[in-house]
Amino acid sequence: MPSIPQARLRNFSIIAHVDHGKSTLADRILELTHTIDARQMTSQVLDSMDLEREKGITIKARAVRLEHTARDGLRYGINLIDTPGHVDFSYEVSRSLQACEGAILVVDAAQGIEAQTLANVHLALAQGLVIIPVINKIDLPSADPERVMTELEDVLAMPREEVILASAKEGTGIPEILEAIVERIPPPTGDPDAPLRGLIFDSHYDPYKGVVAYVRLAEGTLHQRESIRLMASGAQAEILELGVFRPQLVPVERLGPGEVGYVATGLKSVADCQVGDTLTASHHPAAQPLPGYKPARSLVFAGLYPLEGPDYPLLRDALEKLHLNDASITFEPESSVALGFGFRCGFLGLLHMEIIQERLEREFGLDLIASAPSVEYHVTLTHGRGEIPVDNPARLPGPSDIEEIAEPWVKVSIITPSQYIGTLMELATGRRGTIGTMEYLDPQRVLITFELPLAEVIVDFYDQLKSRTQGYASMDYEPIGYRQGTLVKLDVLVNGEPVDALSLIVHRDKSRAAGQGLVEKLKELIPRQMFEVPVQAAIGSNVVARETIRAMRKNVLAKCYGGDITRKRKLLEKQKEGKQRMKRVGSVEIPQEAFLAVLRTGDG
Amino acid sequence: MAVHTATPANPPDQQPDPVHVTDRVGSGSDPFDAGRDPMGGRPRPPVGLYLHIPFCVSLCPYCDFVVVTGHAARGPGSRIEAFVGALHAELTLRADALDAIDGIGGPDRTALRSVYLGGGTPSLLTAAQVAGLLDHIADRFGIALDAEVTLEANPGPTERGDIAGFRAAGVTRLSIGAQSMDPAELRRLGRRHDPVDVRAAIAEARAAGIRSVSVDLLMDVPGQTLASWDATLHAVASLEPDHVSTYQLTLDDPDAEGLTTVEGDHLPVRAGARRWRRRAAAEQDQDRAAAMDARADRVLDAVGLARYELSNRARPGHASRHNLAYWRREPVEAVGPGAHAFDGVTRRWNAARLDRYLAALVPPDDGSPSLPPGGTEVIDDPTVRAETAILGLRLADGIDAAFGEDPRLGPGLAWGMAHELVARRADRLVLTPRGRLLSNEVFARLLP
Ligand SMILES: Nc1nc2c(ncn2[C@@H]2O[C@H](COP(=O)(O)OP(=O)(O)O)[C@@H](O)[C@H]2O)c(=O)[nH]1
Ligand code: SF4
Ligand SMILES: [Mg+2]
Repeated sequence: MPSIPQARLRNFSIIAHVDHGKSTLADRILELTHTIDARQMTSQVLDSMDLEREKGITIKARAVRLEHTARDGLRYGINLIDTPGHVDFSYEVSRSLQACEGAILVVDAAQGIEAQTLANVHLALAQGLVIIPVINKIDLPSADPERVMTELEDVLAMPREEVILASAKEGTGIPEILEAIVERIPPPTGDPDAPLRGLIFDSHYDPYKGVVAYVRLAEGTLHQRESIRLMASGAQAEILELGVFRPQLVPVERLGPGEVGYVATGLKSVADCQVGDTLTASHHPAAQPLPGYKPARSLVFAGLYPLEGPDYPLLRDALEKLHLNDASITFEPESSVALGFGFRCGFLGLLHMEIIQERLEREFGLDLIASAPSVEYHVTLTHGRGEIPVDNPARLPGPSDIEEIAEPWVKVSIITPSQYIGTLMELATGRRGTIGTMEYLDPQRVLITFELPLAEVIVDFYDQLKSRTQGYASMDYEPIGYRQGTLVKLDVLVNGEPVDALSLIVHRDKSRAAGQGLVEKLKELIPRQMFEVPVQAAIGSNVVARETIRAMRKNVLAKCYGGDITRKRKLLEKQKEGKQRMKRVGSVEIPQEAFLAVLRTGDG
Repeated sequence: MAVHTATPANPPDQQPDPVHVTDRVGSGSDPFDAGRDPMGGRPRPPVGLYLHIPFCVSLCPYCDFVVVTGHAARGPGSRIEAFVGALHAELTLRADALDAIDGIGGPDRTALRSVYLGGGTPSLLTAAQVAGLLDHIADRFGIALDAEVTLEANPGPTERGDIAGFRAAGVTRLSIGAQSMDPAELRRLGRRHDPVDVRAAIAEARAAGIRSVSVDLLMDVPGQTLASWDATLHAVASLEPDHVSTYQLTLDDPDAEGLTTVEGDHLPVRAGARRWRRRAAAEQDQDRAAAMDARADRVLDAVGLARYELSNRARPGHASRHNLAYWRREPVEAVGPGAHAFDGVTRRWNAARLDRYLAALVPPDDGSPSLPPGGTEVIDDPTVRAETAILGLRLADGIDAAFGEDPRLGPGLAWGMAHELVARRADRLVLTPRGRLLSNEVFARLLP
């Protein structure tokens, strides 16, 4: 691959609200630049994970190098970095934006600006990127590019002359977009002769090449066979191979400032080559590392347990492997009476949690059960014993040890057709929210912000939002710090024994309703026992809800004649096996499925 | 009229009272005697014979038997005649096979103590067909003079058949599928008869000289109340049957149990029946069912119908001999689609599908008949013990208390006693009234 001078390099991202056409646009750009020939073209090439294709969302950022001859007749090297659009992954978005000088903002011609559009634009502006607004899907009968241009002008101060109209589906506007990339986005700065500094933004492990680091060079030049060092870990390595993503790995002789590529290090441990570390040359190391990434903050926590106890070591291995690929998950061992041994895991959000659980199940063949999601509380202990974080309700200290509990709050931004304002206000206030600002984007559409406890947002808030607005509203949220709350721990007791996996931290005002819901559900799900079993929800020793599971009255085989004996014996054998699989809480036998059903209903 | 080949131990009217029989389960020196093969792991000759007659006029949605309905059961396309031919062919082959076994074969074989024509609706056969079958059985297996010969009948006027003719053919006991004495319940159960038909069928049986009449009833069925059940019980009691079976309606799923494969002993459940069962199951209520069971005890005990098995009650001398053989793990031969036989060592069954049954036994072009498809299961020793205890506990008489010392069965029985589901009465262990309704809790703990 002939090398291209730094002045003719361009690095850009595509940012968009989910489904506005980012991946499709990336496909068209790859086609037009012959990066992928039409025969190999599958739709949404960059979304290579099975899960991404199925869910139609990009989960991980991806990079690809393309080349393009612009109208000026010169050949340009362009790095496209695809980013996820979902609110859970804004961490990934900001990470990929750090590798760019510009961003294409894709807005759906029929939908207009959505909550994620705003969030992503704000991230891009904060990085000082040049933004190229593109209105996509102009082929749709419902497309209204005029209205969307007005929105872009009014809300984001983007001049209409700068907007490119496109249809990623039909390929219109794509050459204009490429031309704008070349014309409007500045080349990367960075001295090719300075000591080498490259930021690791991702990695994967290859059994032959060891850790393959994905790197964006800030300064200096990287050559084949060079000795390198990682500034944070101190690890040393020989470069086994150097290359770019097209999007498959293609070796090159050298990488210069602003270029994005990969380095096969031969290192055996991904821990030696972590995302955010700075790569430098051993013989002429840089004095200062690049500013790394802010570590991802886990917002949602849940216990993940293997359905089959013996799978526990497999789950641990799987989490370790996944962590290499997705540094944003955290995990530590925990155990529960009801669910056995598992891990307390931290996730970026609920979608992230769902995706990780699915990846663990699919890629590692595990059957998992997740406990109810929780946030991280900050608990101030009495007698000046300081503050502790608690992300597992079962670990909350007793009431007498707690001075105060603070919980994370978020600012939720919602864009909605104005007729739904009422129902959304009701939703937010019902969840302890307060109304922030309200701004009309046009006569029909409003941007409202609320402040809400995160705990109230992670429990089906998004589903509620979608169903109350017939799917028209979009949302985004950002953390705004911790606030003190009147929070209590709600325990569930079966026959007087607490069931740790079902404990919840809730606002005192909601504890009775939450408790009632839980005990009713358990009453339905726990099979009758030989004796009457009380099921209670309690705050400390104060019972707030109670149901009774009546004693079993009948379990009998009515008929047992010649043909029935074998059959009935098999039915009894099944009952016996069922008993053996039961979890015991005190003297009560509870099928694991009952716990699963309670946990799966989500609102615990 | 059937030919009886063996001398009876008791004259017909002085049969031993099965409620107070002396050869109780496990009453010998070794409590496992009854469940074990006294001949050391070798098959024993049958004491009873079951014939499965799979035809019904229409299909009840809760039915769990091997049944064919519609054109195959009546009218010009009826397969009944062909089927009776197939039964004869199977009887011949089964008898030949028994004859070939050393020690139990041939004319020395003890005559059958019971024959049971079950279904389906065996009363759809003609009296001549029944007589032909019983003659054939008497000829090849022998039927004891005092044998119990049961025929199941549906009470409806078009279904109950020629009761006097059946009696003349050798039937001694009629089992009537009444199910309920409430017209609305009968409709909901998909039954074709009315309560008056039950009365008429019993009257015909008595007039024909049938000495033992049994009535089947169902509880915990859709739309049933404790009051309607009570009314059914009283109505049945007033008809003075000799035997009453009270079954909790069970809605098992033979498809899910894997019993409906081509070789399986059950037929697939039809979609309509599946829907009906789902609705019915939602209406079932274990508290109400328990109350119904207690009510049955109260009403039927008062008229001398004492419970001798979990679901069966009889006046003295009228317990079903044939069914007692199952509960005592005695060998029973069986013919017909879906029928199960036991020779003391091995359980054997015929596949359920009628077409395959007919194809094997009455092959086209006068080919020679072969045994129908099916399967076998050999019961290992720990399972024999468990079965013996489980089946024995179903009986009012229970099992020998020595079972409690068996290392495998002891813990389960002790658990049952601790929860007051099993009680010791003299040298016997029996289910308590609560234990009868929760017997599976004990039984599951007795399995190896
Ligand atoms: N009609 C039309 N549909 C499009 C266009 N671009 C994308 N789509 C469709 O919009 C949906 C979302 O596209 P995708 O590229 O996955 O969006 P992303 O979530 O932003 O990556 C897919 O069904 C695409 O086929 C377009 O220009 N016109
Ligand atoms: S009459 Fe009996 S055998 Fe026939 S379909 Fe009804 S329940 Fe089944
Ligand atoms: Mg996408």
